[in-house]
Amino acid sequence: MIQVENLQKTYHTGFLMRPKKVLSDVSFHVPKGSVYGFIGPNGAGKSTTIKLLTGLLRKDSGKILVAGFSPSSSESRKHLGYSPEQPYFYDYLTGRELMRFYGRLSGIEGKELEARIEWALSLVNANKDWADRRLRTYSKGMMQRVGIAQAILGRPELLILDEPMSGLDPMGRKDVREAIVLLNKEGVTVFYSSHLLSDVETISHRVAMIVGGRIVREGTVDEITSNSSAEYHIHVSCDIPSEDVPEGVLPQGTTPREWICKNGEQRDRFLNFCLQSGLPVVRVEHQRPSLEDVLTEEIARAES
Amino acid sequence: MQNLKNIAVIALNTFRESVRSKVLYNIVFLAVALAFFSIILGEWSVFDRAYVIKSTTLTIMSLSGLLISVFVGISLVQKEIQGRTVLTLLSKPISRAAFIVGKYFGLVAVIAVHLLLLTVIYYLILWMTHSSPTFSLLFAIYLVFCEMAIVVALALLFSTFSSPVLSALFTLGVYIAGHLSNELLEQVRFVRRMGEVDGTQSVMMEKIAIVVHAVFPGLYRFNVSAYVIHNIALPEHYLFFNSLYAVGYIGVFLAIACWWFSRRDFI
Repeated sequence: MIQVENLQKTYHTGFLMRPKKVLSDVSFHVPKGSVYGFIGPNGAGKSTTIKLLTGLLRKDSGKILVAGFSPSSSESRKHLGYSPEQPYFYDYLTGRELMRFYGRLSGIEGKELEARIEWALSLVNANKDWADRRLRTYSKGMMQRVGIAQAILGRPELLILDEPMSGLDPMGRKDVREAIVLLNKEGVTVFYSSHLLSDVETISHRVAMIVGGRIVREGTVDEITSNSSAEYHIHVSCDIPSEDVPEGVLPQGTTPREWICKNGEQRDRFLNFCLQSGLPVVRVEHQRPSLEDVLTEEIARAES
Repeated sequence: MQNLKNIAVIALNTFRESVRSKVLYNIVFLAVALAFFSIILGEWSVFDRAYVIKSTTLTIMSLSGLLISVFVGISLVQKEIQGRTVLTLLSKPISRAAFIVGKYFGLVAVIAVHLLLLTVIYYLILWMTHSSPTFSLLFAIYLVFCEMAIVVALALLFSTFSSPVLSALFTLGVYIAGHLSNELLEQVRFVRRMGEVDGTQSVMMEKIAIVVHAVFPGLYRFNVSAYVIHNIALPEHYLFFNSLYAVGYIGVFLAIACWWFSRRDFI
């Protein structure tokens, strides 16, 4: 559904138009019918990539195809729905008037438009009371929901959401998560960025991780986390003074009976130490890292 | 067909947005107040009362239209960009040209309604003061509308690539140059004929004046108040040719605005 190859983008900022490279050689492929999470720290290039996909920015070089079309053609935008990060709308309109405005721009008219508005608003739990209120009275969470509702109004094949869960309370996040899953079940491909990595792990079929304008990891959550360094938690039956244990091995909290080894080498050294000291080992837990651990690791690597 | 529909939807939304602008109401209120003030001016003036009322009111129409174009028109595109509403709008299957053209027609509709309101007040004042309201005054008002249609296109063009303050200054600059370019050319030619400036210098001055005259839209063409106030017939096909002239400039300004806007990045 989305094909990105060797994408480059440079911003020219300030009075002297100094160049600042924001994307370097970005490539990824979003399969049709998938939920694709796009994660990375602030300033990594997530929103830039999304704006390039929606045609709001022009690429320097590389290839982008959205539903088989270049993002600069309005044809590609017939197939996608987009909600920007912290969406802003005409605050003198009501939620329903705004939906009518965007619906007409998408070529939907009459009874079909009214039916789609009801469907889209109900999907994000935008109840009838506040859909008829002016947008200037909306909270951040309500704006976010209307943002998603206008994106799905045209029943797009592809939904691109930039931080759709930011500003939402736990119930709102749950609603958005459920809406994404529901739309995906109906065949909609969803590409979204998020800082909420637990949500990304829960609903994404594939994930791309971007750090410093480069894709550093790409694959299913399993693939990404299994390729990363795992932690080993070793439980022993008696307290061990921390000065005695091999270097690098740390206690879990204040418990001197559970020890964390950051890699296999530390694990082997600690187990040898236990064996030689006659300390009974209760169990060894292999803890797979979370997306957050992998991202933290990649950020640290990029910074170093 | 869908493009035309999109232009209409954006124009309607622009109109709705503009008529909520406090700046617009201030300008309209000022224009209406000044139109009524022209009655007092007519009484005070040594000139014919009808002449003063007619010329003052036509000037008010032109200047208030200019203020609306500058203060409402320029902010329209900038507000969309700075308010980030443009992000959602341009992600819809519409061309950027449709966005610019829609904005343009929305604002032209505001100007048209404003001039219509002033026209009604204008004729009311003329009727109240027995100042012979003639049909030919409508020609002058129509040409003010054409002039404003050019100024709106110009303001929109500047607002696609510069800040609101700079756009306002550029628009005002072109408005003044457009009104004075013909007079400048005539003055330079007169000075040359009189031989007050030496040969090379006068040729250079005339060339500059010709360039200014050719490049800037000749907005002086749209001021026919002297004709209509004194009931002098306009040259044949004057309205038709100046309408074409306005359409030509509007087309060029909008084409440049669309081209520039389509190249813009929205960070």
